[in-house]
Amino acid sequence: MSTANPGGGKGGARRLVPSFEARMLLPALLLLAAISLFPFFYIIYMSFNEVSLIGGVDFEWVGLENWVEMFTDPNVRNSWITSGVYFIATVGLEMVLGIGIALLVHELVWGKNLVLSMLLLPMFVAPVIVGLLGRFLVDSTYGLYAWFLESTGLITWEILGSKTSALMAVILMDVWEWTPLITLIVLAGLSSMPQTVLEAAKVDGANYFQRLRHMVAPLISGVVVVALLIRSMDAIRYYDIISVTTNGGPADATKVIPIRLYETAFRFQELGYAAAIGLGMLAFSILVANLFMRILRGQERAR
Amino acid sequence: MRRRASAAGAMGVPGGLSRRDFLKMSGAGLAGASLLGLAGCGEQSSQGGGEGWKQYSGMTLNFISENTAPTSAIAANLKPFKDLTGIDVKINQLELGALVQKVSLDVSSGDPSIHVIYADPYQVLAPFSAAFADLNDFEGDDSLPSVKKGFGDFIPTQLAAAGRFEDEEALYALPYDCPTMVWMYRKDLFEKYGDKMSQDLGFDPMPSDKITWDQYYEIANWFNKNASEVEYGSGHQSKQYDSLMCDFSNIMWSYGGDYFENGEQVGKIGTEDPGASLLDQDGAVEAATFYQKLVGISHPGSTSWDWTALDEAFRAGNIAMAPNWHEFAAGIEDSNLGGKVGYTRLPGGPTRSASMWGGTGLGINGELNEDEQRAAWLFLVWATSPETQLSGLKSNVGGGTPTRQSVYEQPEVKNATKPPTDLPNMLTYDAVSEAWKPENIGLRPKIEKWNECNTVIFTELSKMLAGDKGPEQAMRAAKEGFDRANGA
Repeated sequence: MSTANPGGGKGGARRLVPSFEARMLLPALLLLAAISLFPFFYIIYMSFNEVSLIGGVDFEWVGLENWVEMFTDPNVRNSWITSGVYFIATVGLEMVLGIGIALLVHELVWGKNLVLSMLLLPMFVAPVIVGLLGRFLVDSTYGLYAWFLESTGLITWEILGSKTSALMAVILMDVWEWTPLITLIVLAGLSSMPQTVLEAAKVDGANYFQRLRHMVAPLISGVVVVALLIRSMDAIRYYDIISVTTNGGPADATKVIPIRLYETAFRFQELGYAAAIGLGMLAFSILVANLFMRILRGQERAR
Repeated sequence: MRRRASAAGAMGVPGGLSRRDFLKMSGAGLAGASLLGLAGCGEQSSQGGGEGWKQYSGMTLNFISENTAPTSAIAANLKPFKDLTGIDVKINQLELGALVQKVSLDVSSGDPSIHVIYADPYQVLAPFSAAFADLNDFEGDDSLPSVKKGFGDFIPTQLAAAGRFEDEEALYALPYDCPTMVWMYRKDLFEKYGDKMSQDLGFDPMPSDKITWDQYYEIANWFNKNASEVEYGSGHQSKQYDSLMCDFSNIMWSYGGDYFENGEQVGKIGTEDPGASLLDQDGAVEAATFYQKLVGISHPGSTSWDWTALDEAFRAGNIAMAPNWHEFAAGIEDSNLGGKVGYTRLPGGPTRSASMWGGTGLGINGELNEDEQRAAWLFLVWATSPETQLSGLKSNVGGGTPTRQSVYEQPEVKNATKPPTDLPNMLTYDAVSEAWKPENIGLRPKIEKWNECNTVIFTELSKMLAGDKGPEQAMRAAKEGFDRANGA
């Protein structure tokens, strides 16, 4: 908190009086502390304890046991690997498709708003509904996609019953829902580009791909990194769709780390261990966020 | 530390005089009781012994349940309870996993809000038994209505499996539903192809408990090759989920395998210390080997089907037969397959024919205050009464199957076991009544760490079915997972 120095000057009496701005911020800061800092430190404390729930919460200090288990548990390691595959696939596909669609929509002369409205629809569906819808569509008994893929001979096996296709299916469900968000963010970046510069380049004879590479890409790189950051944070804690489609199976092929966390906390009642896994997820999120923020700052400096 | 709630034992109406005592002492009470009898006590006495139904009028109870047919039937028929007691009931129906989570949070909150708990014996009762009230205290309380016909009217194996944990005396839940796995098959296809199949296979293929699992495999394979009406002979609920453990356990028990030493007692009463797992023993490994072979020739959808999806596939006519939960019979008889399906006990193995029982009880949250627990008891007595169970059986929203012997003895219920019938679940009665006998029932372990062990077994089986591991390797890994969870 900042302090004021009413005496002023060298040697003046310094008093620890919060500035006006700090006093105005104080209620909000206290509220923030209550709803985020307290649970944060509580979870850290939980991760060093075995927690029993019955008859009220009860802690038993176990030191680093939960942390050692987290780093040595092969199941948790496998879930991190699955999360990594999922993370790279979803964020990668969403970025490529989202940017591509945004560039196409940006070039539309008429009907842009209508196309954009339709493109954004998946984003407004709750993820759990996307999961239920996806499960319905690929179900071998009544699913439209399952019927189509089998009729055409493209996929003749059970989509959610095979390891690779199940993982692909949940990745594609996420891509279907969240690619529009990337499109929207990138479109905002494209709309804010200085049109005069682009037109000047066009007059100078630069073709579309030259303009894209040397002008559009540098101009929208900032918003692309922001989009990447937002989706990355979401992808790390991805839970809903897998929970209602495969619940981690088959053979743990879709058991990403949030599913493992839920299972540990609410099925096995091992809240201390789950706290350690959750903090591991938080550390990973901070790491990824810092990475992207560094890239963003680097771009700003380069300009 | 384990804490037992014994709220009702020390309870009574203000002044230390029970309502029953008061009525005994009062001539006016007798007269009043006569008048009340004309107005509505007939209904009260039909629900259970004793008075005191109205003492918590105006209260609201929260009942949390898995989204099952019996609860749907109760939800559609709550008015009689409201009329009887003046108590409102809010029902929250959830998927079982979400229910476990809600119960765990509620009993730990210090401010419990759930009164009546759908107490799955394995996923709720065993891990949270210390949070349940002992129902003996309420049953022995003169100021409360008692269970009509007593606890002895419940099917004994179900009373123990659904209601007890570790202790032969304490009772934490009253049997509420009793889904049991039976062999469901397309009667029309067996009639059409029976002779040909018999010639080709060299045995009478008509489903019965005399058929072995090996013969079941041969029948399924025969359908795969010869019947155009269905896509595959057999289907299974082999998704990486609870359903996979259920499906496999039938076969494991029939091959003489078990989860723990003294498996019958561990299943019926339960224990906190089950000891080392037996999943790496010959019976379990042989069963796993067979199960892998059987699922290999079954509908490929099997590895993504839970019990609901399997039932949908069966109803859609995709498979000729399946081990399925008997309570699905009502829906099947109401579908295009009505009248075309037969129900019998599951095939046998080298040791026996075992049928997984998946029943559940209703329990009372022992963290509540006394009055709330007593009001919840009223709901338990009503919801598990013969009248309510019969009403559930007749319900047009699916209904359940009774857990009381007296209901099955009623003429209209007995007559419903043969088609045509208005109570389609009763078509399975011949199969399930045999399955519930102590020597046939299949009870999974009732242990505190069951949720973890369950996850271990269905995950290892899923890995085996996906080809990641062989049966022996999968069973060894499952045993290690069980032992780690139980500290054995």
